[in-house]
Amino acid sequence: MNQLPLQGIRVLDLSWIIAGPTATRFLASMGAEVIKVGSARRPDPSTRGPAFQAYNQSKLYASLNLSKPEGLELVKRLLAISDVVIENFAAGVIERLGLGYDVVRAARPDIIMVASSGTGHFGPHTDYVAYGSLLQHYTGWNSISGHPNREPVTGGLWADPWVGMELAMVTVASLNNRALAGEGQYVDFSMAEALSACLPEAVLDYQMNDRVKEPMGNRDDWYAPHGVYHCFGSDRWVAIAVTNVSEWAALCGLIGRSDLTSNSKYATAEGRRQFQGELGTAITEWTVQHEDIEAMRLLQQAGVPAGPSQDILRVFQEPQLSEAGYFNRVKTRDGEERDLPGLPWRFEGTQAPILTEAPVLGEHNDYIYGELLGLSQGEVAHMVEEQIIY
Amino acid sequence: MTPKGLLPGVRVLDVGQGISGPYCAKILAQMGAEVIKVEPQAGDSARRMGPFPSDLPHTEKSGLFLALNANKYGVTLDLSSPEGAESFRKLAATADIVIENPPPISLEELGLGYESLQQINPGLILTSITPFGRRGPYKDFKATDLILYHMSGHAHGLLGAVKDPDKDPPIRAGGHQAEFVGGLAAATATMMALYGKQMNGQGSQINVSLFEAMVTQLISGLANSAWGRPAPPRDLAMVEEAAIGGMVGAIGGILPCNDGHVAISPREDAQWERWLVVMGNPTWSTDDRYSTRDARQKNSPSLWKLLSDWSINYSKHEIARLGQEQRVPCFPVNTVLDLMGDEHLAHREFFVEMDHPEAGTLKYPGAAYKLSNSDLPLTARPAPLLGQHNQEILEGLNR
Repeated sequence: MNQLPLQGIRVLDLSWIIAGPTATRFLASMGAEVIKVGSARRPDPSTRGPAFQAYNQSKLYASLNLSKPEGLELVKRLLAISDVVIENFAAGVIERLGLGYDVVRAARPDIIMVASSGTGHFGPHTDYVAYGSLLQHYTGWNSISGHPNREPVTGGLWADPWVGMELAMVTVASLNNRALAGEGQYVDFSMAEALSACLPEAVLDYQMNDRVKEPMGNRDDWYAPHGVYHCFGSDRWVAIAVTNVSEWAALCGLIGRSDLTSNSKYATAEGRRQFQGELGTAITEWTVQHEDIEAMRLLQQAGVPAGPSQDILRVFQEPQLSEAGYFNRVKTRDGEERDLPGLPWRFEGTQAPILTEAPVLGEHNDYIYGELLGLSQGEVAHMVEEQIIY
Repeated sequence: MTPKGLLPGVRVLDVGQGISGPYCAKILAQMGAEVIKVEPQAGDSARRMGPFPSDLPHTEKSGLFLALNANKYGVTLDLSSPEGAESFRKLAATADIVIENPPPISLEELGLGYESLQQINPGLILTSITPFGRRGPYKDFKATDLILYHMSGHAHGLLGAVKDPDKDPPIRAGGHQAEFVGGLAAATATMMALYGKQMNGQGSQINVSLFEAMVTQLISGLANSAWGRPAPPRDLAMVEEAAIGGMVGAIGGILPCNDGHVAISPREDAQWERWLVVMGNPTWSTDDRYSTRDARQKNSPSLWKLLSDWSINYSKHEIARLGQEQRVPCFPVNTVLDLMGDEHLAHREFFVEMDHPEAGTLKYPGAAYKLSNSDLPLTARPAPLLGQHNQEILEGLNR
């Protein structure tokens, strides 16, 4: 059995809220020792509640007050024994704290420092104040998402967890480079660019055809029929995407409308796109007779891509996730057994990933300050009193 | 000279088609790995997806294909023929990583699965991306971006709450988020496996589920469920009653401008005070109905009317600039046209330009990261023509 790939890596996690903690959750669960540093003086805004649980699984948590000079010295000692440091403050904040890359590198020359901010760490809009929920607008995503001729969508694209995964990726890419070339790295990461990088169709369409892509709801440039169709029950929908002519024939057969297959105006995807409204009526006559899960099963059995449109609670209860081994049952400190989220990958024949409950602030102070840094109990007690370890 | 990037000397075979597999391999290519794209004679299916110049399909001119496959070499092999399979085995013997995203091409079904390849290359990493992974009741189900976006819970959140949920169904985001997020998950896992291989020589067989990749974006929602909390309602009436977050009310929202929209989020009291400066401290701002965050949440319909009456007189970029000058989180709702003219992205050289022999000179989105000690080979070569490197790569195998 293989060991987890990141065993032996130590990560100092100065990040907070969502994007940075998401990245270090991935690293911790795959074997890295992640030391999250926070302070009661300025708690992680997501400290309370289930969200914190999700984003901070599998980590160690030290309390440390960076506004005190002695706190800064302790961080430098932690940096000296770390392979990676991650932060996601607004651009410029980490330098004002006295922990810019020059300082970090002095503590550990081959360290990998990953710095993430809304728009990156240089350029005219570096100082722009950002939330993930706003970046989806700035990055172009909300100009192509939503309904045509309605105001832009206001819900979440979940920019932060998306970016968090990319932060983990670039961190491990840099670790690979350190193994190959022996040197560390400062990574300037722009959340906005991570999202804009995933719109190549719109970017290329504009250059090729002078066309500014517009939102099209559930419809698609290529496939038809393509949408959600009302099922039996209130606010129940099944999503159906017909991607080729054999799926089209299968759909028509299933809903008892083989006459549509022989109608030449629906023979091509282009034709089906043009008449999608009337096809929707025909499909809905069938879907409203079925529960959404049942509609999915029948459609999938016929070879048509389909699935229910679910809220998060139904996703949590999804048998696909539990039976595929996605969740990890953990007894949390309130004594309850809960299914905590897992990882989107399986390393076959490898030790199971580490997916434990999130820590509380200061939970691992003894290990981190005593065992790792070698401070005596008296020294630690003094620093607690002085609100340095705080 | 082409920059070495972070992964010099790492060799990858990309058997993927469409988006998720090729995007995973694209990430490895732009990090500096040597990526050889292995296509069937008919080419990757992305070559048949648009956008195309003048909307005319052309094997070498798909914008999606060109973007996803830049910086890779390209060979054609019929993996179902004994000769093609043999060439693939020889290539796999020299590779560190193989990426696939069946269907349509499954290495296992072709007799080229992990166990077979591991015999000739024990340290090989095989990353397989499938819609639902290799286990569970849906493991053989088909899915597209639409299906994954809806099943994973994302569609319920994107539109926000609506007046009549039975007439206003959930919608997906534009583009192909599920495919890109799944490809990124695969690249992340592959990078980890590569590190493990460098440390102790171990190979890896990795299975990635696109569905789980999308679900993993919503782990805070899953945790809410695990702690017994209800799902956020889609019915607007219920949202107002419960004052649940999201981009509604006092948290922030969208304002109409004379040329589009701007998104603002002056959620903290200090941000709100500075936002009022942007608006010239209107007389209504001292009204009790808007003076606290709770009051603004409660009276958000009338508040957003007042804000909209003001914002419609300005352009989206004007308001974004004025707001950011006061350190209020606000951004224009940009189109791709705005992105390509954005001075900040231009300064950071986000878009990269490449000349392709058939499709011509085009700008492509680059990487979201700049590295202090390495340059990335983002423009090493445009996407390969079908079979472009057959001679160079395949003939060398038989010597």
